[in-house]
Amino acid sequence: MRRVGVWLFCVVLMLVLAACNGGTSAPASGGQTDGSTAPATEPAKGEPVELVMYSWRTEDKEAYAKFIAEFERQHSNIKVKFKPFKSTEYNTILSNSLTSGTGVDIVQLRPYSGATSIADAGYLLPLDEVKGVAEIERTYLDAARGSDQKVYGVPLSINSAVIFYNKKLFEENGLEAPQTWDELLQVSTELQKKGIIPIAQAGKASYLLSITHSVIGTSSYGGNEYVDQLLAGQTKFTDGAFTESIKRMQELAPFFPPDFIGIDDKDAQALFYTGKAAMYINGSYRLETFEKQSTDLPIDILPALAKEKGGETPMINWVDGSYGIAKSTKHPEEAKVFVEWLASKEFGQMFSDDLNRLSAISGVTPKHPLVQKMTQLSEKSMAPFLMLVHFGEGTPTTKTTFEDSLQGLYINKIDVDKVAGDTQASADKWFKPKK
Amino acid sequence: MPVLEKKTAIKTETASARSVNWKKHMVHLFLLPALLFYIWFQVYPILSAFLNSFFAWDGLKRGAFIGLENFVRLFTESPFQETFFRGLGHNVIFFIGIVITKLAVAFLIALVINSKIRGKEFFKMVIFLPKLLSVIVVGFLFSLILNPTYGALNTFLAFIGLQEWARPWLGSPDTALYTIILVNSWYGLGFAVLIFLAGLQAIPTEIYDAAKIDGASGLTMLWKMTIPLAMPSIMVMTILSFIGAFETFELIFAMQGSQAGPYFSTDVLATYFYRLAFGSVAGGESIGLGSALAVVLFLMISSATAVLLFFFKRKEYEQ
Repeated sequence: MRRVGVWLFCVVLMLVLAACNGGTSAPASGGQTDGSTAPATEPAKGEPVELVMYSWRTEDKEAYAKFIAEFERQHSNIKVKFKPFKSTEYNTILSNSLTSGTGVDIVQLRPYSGATSIADAGYLLPLDEVKGVAEIERTYLDAARGSDQKVYGVPLSINSAVIFYNKKLFEENGLEAPQTWDELLQVSTELQKKGIIPIAQAGKASYLLSITHSVIGTSSYGGNEYVDQLLAGQTKFTDGAFTESIKRMQELAPFFPPDFIGIDDKDAQALFYTGKAAMYINGSYRLETFEKQSTDLPIDILPALAKEKGGETPMINWVDGSYGIAKSTKHPEEAKVFVEWLASKEFGQMFSDDLNRLSAISGVTPKHPLVQKMTQLSEKSMAPFLMLVHFGEGTPTTKTTFEDSLQGLYINKIDVDKVAGDTQASADKWFKPKK
Repeated sequence: MPVLEKKTAIKTETASARSVNWKKHMVHLFLLPALLFYIWFQVYPILSAFLNSFFAWDGLKRGAFIGLENFVRLFTESPFQETFFRGLGHNVIFFIGIVITKLAVAFLIALVINSKIRGKEFFKMVIFLPKLLSVIVVGFLFSLILNPTYGALNTFLAFIGLQEWARPWLGSPDTALYTIILVNSWYGLGFAVLIFLAGLQAIPTEIYDAAKIDGASGLTMLWKMTIPLAMPSIMVMTILSFIGAFETFELIFAMQGSQAGPYFSTDVLATYFYRLAFGSVAGGESIGLGSALAVVLFLMISSATAVLLFFFKRKEYEQ
């Protein structure tokens, strides 16, 4: 019995010591291939190796099966297993995998601060030297950089916040697509008079509110000029121009579905594609959703509102994640070969054609007319999705604070000034203006 | 008996006693696998959380030892302080709500089933059925039923002419938390009924017969006999409900997401913990703060449960 006791004590002691060692620590820098030295070389033929690829795009599973089949046809020694997880659970699953150093080779990275924090913690291989990466637009690569300015991910696609509108409903009611804030209010009033919900907005998930804000508010606070001033520390969220953009959100509420704070995005989509609502605001990724639901839906898109009639209508763009290589991968060379393929025009074209998305890879020509339109509009004028691109840090993030505050505004718990004040207070905790 | 023989006999006896003793203790070895699982999945995470809460974190990277700073920030710094106390308040409302809508109702149902009514087993089964469903499924189904646009409840209210009663049950801060409490009570009612029923069935019927002869009314018997004698089952259910109310997460997560909206009106400490610790990969200091919150939650639940147990035990002895 005594021996059993001693043995048991040893086991418990081992576990306690393991616990004391801390469950989470960055991997050692040595031992693994450094990735930044040479372009990928095709590994020697032999038993094929399997790379596990994590993603939060469960809806793209079918398309990825096709992409991966094409990659595997060209690289018989590498197998890729696409493992998508529910978007809301993805961060937790990824953290656990990276911390334990198991389970994942290719990582889909959240853009901007999401990628930076993982890169800074030492969980990724730098990809600057991977073929094709240098040709990608610099601002897109900014979404996947570490604090050391190295690139840790191949940007996948560009998202644009747009107003989808039902062309048929507009034509039947003799209405023209709005370009300015005043026109949006006029059109919405007309639609409402005819018993049509003007904008299918959902508010249960608060991130949808900041997407809408980016489309209707940019012309109010002054687009890129205001963003530059904000980043330089010359203005604040409590500035009149920004609070005016929050007021717009409040003024638009009567044109949303009744009790929109209680409905989720799927309900809002249903209102739009069943023709009960005339407009729907979200990222360009919803185009694919609508195409799948109802192929004959006569939709068109509108970029952000212009300040005045005939003025600049910027596309609100952001990089929707990128693919990186986990430093803990047992197959760094094969992983680089795969990432190199993801950075190729061939993959970019397939991605854009099959998923109706804007590829981040240079030289890709979209097939879908609306994706072509988004590309052309982006070439004319672009503005960042302010909250996502520049204010995605803090605990909770400034972006989340803004979104939750907007929800509070809609249920009359707080006013416009408090929304702006809370957002600024959150930014003040971590944001350092650029010198 | 010669001394040598005596010594040998004693030795043999001791050896055989030792062997019996060893065999008797061998049984403990069979507990080892379960113990290892327990240590790995329960003790280790708790110890990790304790340790993590004393360190600074930058995303997934552990920084310097900072003592109790995470705890101090949790209770003094905005917005952590407001979110903590708002969540705690909602947990308390959740517990009170459950005591009223689940325990009180379950006790009444158990009393009815325990009386001489027909179809006892059928009622027991029907009431227990929801418990067979997964909490996530229940949350999803009720989200559909309570949907403000096409949900069955509002449609039904409109159908019977009570249009003005229809509302965004989960979309209004005035109703969201209470709606979730009701769903939780519906889900857990069957289990509470079974526990109370077991307690009521353990009360000897002779006591009631004697009380009737003494002229005690039904209400007096309920108040003076049934409730005190069913106290062990009431105690078990109250403690379980307390722990459940302070740990509640799944149903709120399934119905309102981790943001526990609208505007945190259904936010409890567990959803706050989830957002703080796992809300984003970017993380910032979230692991340290999240661990500190987990430790506070653990200490709160364990100490309050100990107090409740002490209180109920004393009540039991008094009787």
